[in-house]
Amino acid sequence: MENIKAYIESGILELYVLGDLSPEERLQVEEMAAKHAAVKAEIDQIEQSLELYAEEYAVEPPEAVRDKVLNGLLINLGDDRTFTKPRKHSGEEVFENDIVPLQVRRNTFYKYAFAACLTLLLISIYGLINLYSRLQESSSQLTAMQLDKQKIANQVNVMDRELDMYRDTSYRILRLKGVAKTPQSAMTLAWSPATKKVVVDMHSMKLPVHDKQHQYQLWALVGGKPVDMGVFDLNTDTTSVKQMKLIAAADAFAVTLEPMGGSVSPTLDQMVVMGAAK
Amino acid sequence: MSEEELVLSLRNREKIAIEALYDMYSASLFGVISRIIPDTALAEDVLQETFVKIWHSFSGYSSEKGRLFTWMVNIARNLSIDKVRSKDFKNQNKNQELENNVTFIDEQRNTTYKPELLGIKELVSTLKPEQKSILDLVYFKGYTHVEASEELGVPLGTIKTRLRMAILQLRKHFN
Repeated sequence: MENIKAYIESGILELYVLGDLSPEERLQVEEMAAKHAAVKAEIDQIEQSLELYAEEYAVEPPEAVRDKVLNGLLINLGDDRTFTKPRKHSGEEVFENDIVPLQVRRNTFYKYAFAACLTLLLISIYGLINLYSRLQESSSQLTAMQLDKQKIANQVNVMDRELDMYRDTSYRILRLKGVAKTPQSAMTLAWSPATKKVVVDMHSMKLPVHDKQHQYQLWALVGGKPVDMGVFDLNTDTTSVKQMKLIAAADAFAVTLEPMGGSVSPTLDQMVVMGAAK
Repeated sequence: MSEEELVLSLRNREKIAIEALYDMYSASLFGVISRIIPDTALAEDVLQETFVKIWHSFSGYSSEKGRLFTWMVNIARNLSIDKVRSKDFKNQNKNQELENNVTFIDEQRNTTYKPELLGIKELVSTLKPEQKSILDLVYFKGYTHVEASEELGVPLGTIKTRLRMAILQLRKHFN
């Protein structure tokens, strides 16, 4: 009996009621309670006092909770009666998975705000990439247009110079005619004795086609002697006029076909056109 | 309805038994839950979970092992502690450590200490402060006596003695 008293006073029964013992210790206490009425009575006393203590701190839950709880249980009541197969109730922990905690819905605003920010960011990046590629495209277009502009300006310059030729009254327009061997040939050149300039009109030129080893050479006849005035190809130049060498005085002009680069003196039987310088 | 009758009709899954059970014990259980979970809405959820669990695992209760309330209050306390230690709850409280949570709860709990509750003044004078603090830590907040010993910096043996003394005081008071 002394043992039982010491056992009771050890405080283990209080811990048992408070649920603060390991499963093995619980089993021991339950065995002791089954064997000794005093232990059982002590446990009952502890339980009662703690129950009354909890009652002192009772908080009445709202009326709505009563309906919620009871309705929730009564809905399942029918099912429970139908399924009489005993479920395994070995302890409290068995139904852990049945209880689905209510999701606490808070901070959803931040979730949405974050999603919105992300979407905006993606749209912005897409827009930036788009804009950048368009910028690249227009800058390359701009370069191409500048090149075009340059080309046109050059052309205008050239034409302007040609036009100057016609404005200058000192120019004489000379038409060289085909010789007996080449009656179809013709050529126009302009000569200004004042500026000594000689210009060949490439557009209106009608000369026999020559091979790659030969070039046409222009001669001026001064006092019966031929003077070299430079070589030219037939219509290969894109320019419409070609300026030749300078000469102040000439009696006539003639063109002969000469080997590539020209000759020192004209090959007379290869003469294609000729005209007086009047 | 006596406890024996109540247990019997709960075994028989009677509707009236559930209602009686709720009316008799919901306030006491809600009091314990509210002291662990200050958030009223959450505490109400846990009260509902408690009754669901009581109902479903009722066959696990045996009156030979103890009083009905002792069994139920353990369920309520375990569910409340699980909730407090769950991820959701911690996130909600901005990831405070459990220790911080306890002081956090302490602060919050002051508002749920209703001085108008009957008998409390009398009780407070019945229990010595050191007895009351240990009893409340273990009974209401689910500390084990080992955790309580660490929390309060008091040896284990002293904790056990004080717990026993506190409960003896209560027994005297209620008798």
